[in-house]
Amino acid sequence: MRADQVTETDPARLEMLRRALPKERAIDPTGRQLAQLVTRIADQRVPVNSFTRLWNLGSLQARVTAGYLAYWLRSRFTDADERQRLKSEAHLNAAVKLFGTMGYLRGAVMKLGQMLANLPEVVPEEFGEVLAALHFEAPPMHFAMVRELFLDEFGREPEELFASFDRKAFAAASLGQVHRARLKSGEEVAVKIQYPGIARTIRADLRSLRLLLQPLCLTSNWQNTLDKLDDIEQMLLQETDYEQEACFSRQVRELFAPDDGIVVPRVHNAYSTKRVLTTDFLPGCHMERFLANNPSQDERDHYTTLLTIATMRAYYRLHWFMADPHPGNFIFMPDGRLGLIDFGCTRAMTDDEWSRIQELEGAHHKGDTERFNQVIARASLYESVEAMGAEQLAAVRRNVLWNMEPWLKEGLFDFGDREFFMRGIDSIMDLTRKGYTRGCPLYLWSTRFVLGGRAICYRMQGRCAFREIFRREHAAAIAAAPNMEAP
Amino acid sequence: MRISEQAKQATRLRILDKAAELFCAKGFDDSTTREIALAAGVAAGTMFNYFPSKETMAMTMVTEALRQGLDEFRRRRTNEEDLTEELFLFIASGLRRLQPLRPFLGPVLERSLSPFPRKAVCQEGEAARLSHLASVQEIIGRHGFTEAPDYAAMTIYWSLYLGILAFWTNDTSPNQEESQALIDYSLRVFVQVISGTGEERGAAYAC
Repeated sequence: MRADQVTETDPARLEMLRRALPKERAIDPTGRQLAQLVTRIADQRVPVNSFTRLWNLGSLQARVTAGYLAYWLRSRFTDADERQRLKSEAHLNAAVKLFGTMGYLRGAVMKLGQMLANLPEVVPEEFGEVLAALHFEAPPMHFAMVRELFLDEFGREPEELFASFDRKAFAAASLGQVHRARLKSGEEVAVKIQYPGIARTIRADLRSLRLLLQPLCLTSNWQNTLDKLDDIEQMLLQETDYEQEACFSRQVRELFAPDDGIVVPRVHNAYSTKRVLTTDFLPGCHMERFLANNPSQDERDHYTTLLTIATMRAYYRLHWFMADPHPGNFIFMPDGRLGLIDFGCTRAMTDDEWSRIQELEGAHHKGDTERFNQVIARASLYESVEAMGAEQLAAVRRNVLWNMEPWLKEGLFDFGDREFFMRGIDSIMDLTRKGYTRGCPLYLWSTRFVLGGRAICYRMQGRCAFREIFRREHAAAIAAAPNMEAP
Repeated sequence: MRISEQAKQATRLRILDKAAELFCAKGFDDSTTREIALAAGVAAGTMFNYFPSKETMAMTMVTEALRQGLDEFRRRRTNEEDLTEELFLFIASGLRRLQPLRPFLGPVLERSLSPFPRKAVCQEGEAARLSHLASVQEIIGRHGFTEAPDYAAMTIYWSLYLGILAFWTNDTSPNQEESQALIDYSLRVFVQVISGTGEERGAAYAC
């Protein structure tokens, strides 16, 4: 088959894609242009390598993901004049096309897709299901390769190291795949194995991405975009270091006592390296299966409470955002406990970042509007509230206030409330549409943390005594670190 | 005085050991037969009775490593592998045994395994090629193929394998992980070619 014979587009597939993609109100209200752009690029044949073949732009999921990338890029120049815009469209084509060749980045954007799968109101149901299926992608590493990796890392075969080791992976992890195994001492474990060469791929992909985005630079926010890319690169590279993840796991594990009902699996050091991470295997299911069993409101509230305690404790005690709160990272255990796995995407705040966040929280809780506005302006990298401008301040404020809303309500907070959830999505869409995305790179992760967590609680239709949990966790954090400021 | 077979064997091994040390330290091209003889404590003339050239010494090491690799592959194979996976295991087991020789392998393989017409074909190189291809055919035969692939398919295989060796001897990534990706990709290509599913598979991916 020749390349020029595959450009014919199936109208039904184009229509499916169009429905799944975001719509740019000003220039592409039906999403048709975007769908055509992605289809045109997807139908051009792009060479893939052996590790990226599953991310081939051929699949609908991959096209949706590429569409979101294009949407994001395009949102950066909607206000430009026509000539400039056409020029930018040409670069956009090139960017999306290159995106098709970027193995890992496409995977990373697919993670964004995973998050969208938790927003059934935003993405139509059928695509929600397609995207949800991505949580457990088919593993591309065959067992012969896993064995070579073990010989390189441990000098021994998996079967020599473990009492038993499943040839087939049971889950796809970020950057790798997970196999079940049993230690010689009898413990059931999960062994996460990283694809060879992934760290180099990330570096190369981000280098290309920077070069490609350069011509799209139309605003003074370019430096900020570069700073954000640096932060993303650091986080992605951090994810490739399983020793770092083991270190995060050990710290967070110490935060929870048996009574808490929250379990972080133990890391088995002797079976872990930079590229292999062995932890206890936690029995249980993921959110999809939990919801499929039609749980009672009590059960939903129970897990929403545990999830809130878990993330809030890591936040106040360790100053962490668990920045990848997708449902695959939570295990609903049969005894009612909540298991937390995968700490690769943990954003640890610096002292400076933490004190700024605390200043914002403090001003909010005390109702100090002037200070609250000042902190927002600074976080958006403006010298003053005036420099930021009233409209941008109002848009960012709206989003921050939505983030903080649960802190204000006594009693049960209902995360399943559609109106509340949609207001949050709207406020973020509004910021993106207006291009008010300038800010410290940290907020990339806080947004992901808040939105991802709330999307999960929304899908669970769960409630919890949020303010009460906050009081307890905050008091415990102060007791553990007395110099922490009271809000 | 007649030299016993055992003593001959010991001398032979000593020459190979010292040659490997020198090749690793100075590179293949910069090591001379005189130096090897000196290091092994034998007269140059005696050494030529054992090995007529540096190439022969190096290829003897390669052949021995690949033979061990083949033994190891047979021991490691579980019979649950599909064709691509089994070929991967075969190649990877061989490379693991070649690993200690990697620092000087480039020029050796270039001379001994070159597929281009040459005046003097390296006998050890040719033997290594035939032995490797025989193993590949044996593996293919275990996966339901009743006939051996024809010369074109086997030439494609050998080209891929030489490409892998060339890349691997020059691969600076940790644990030569990029070579692992190359092996995997090459074998998928080859298996698709001989399975005759290349086009169909390609079309399926495009959906």
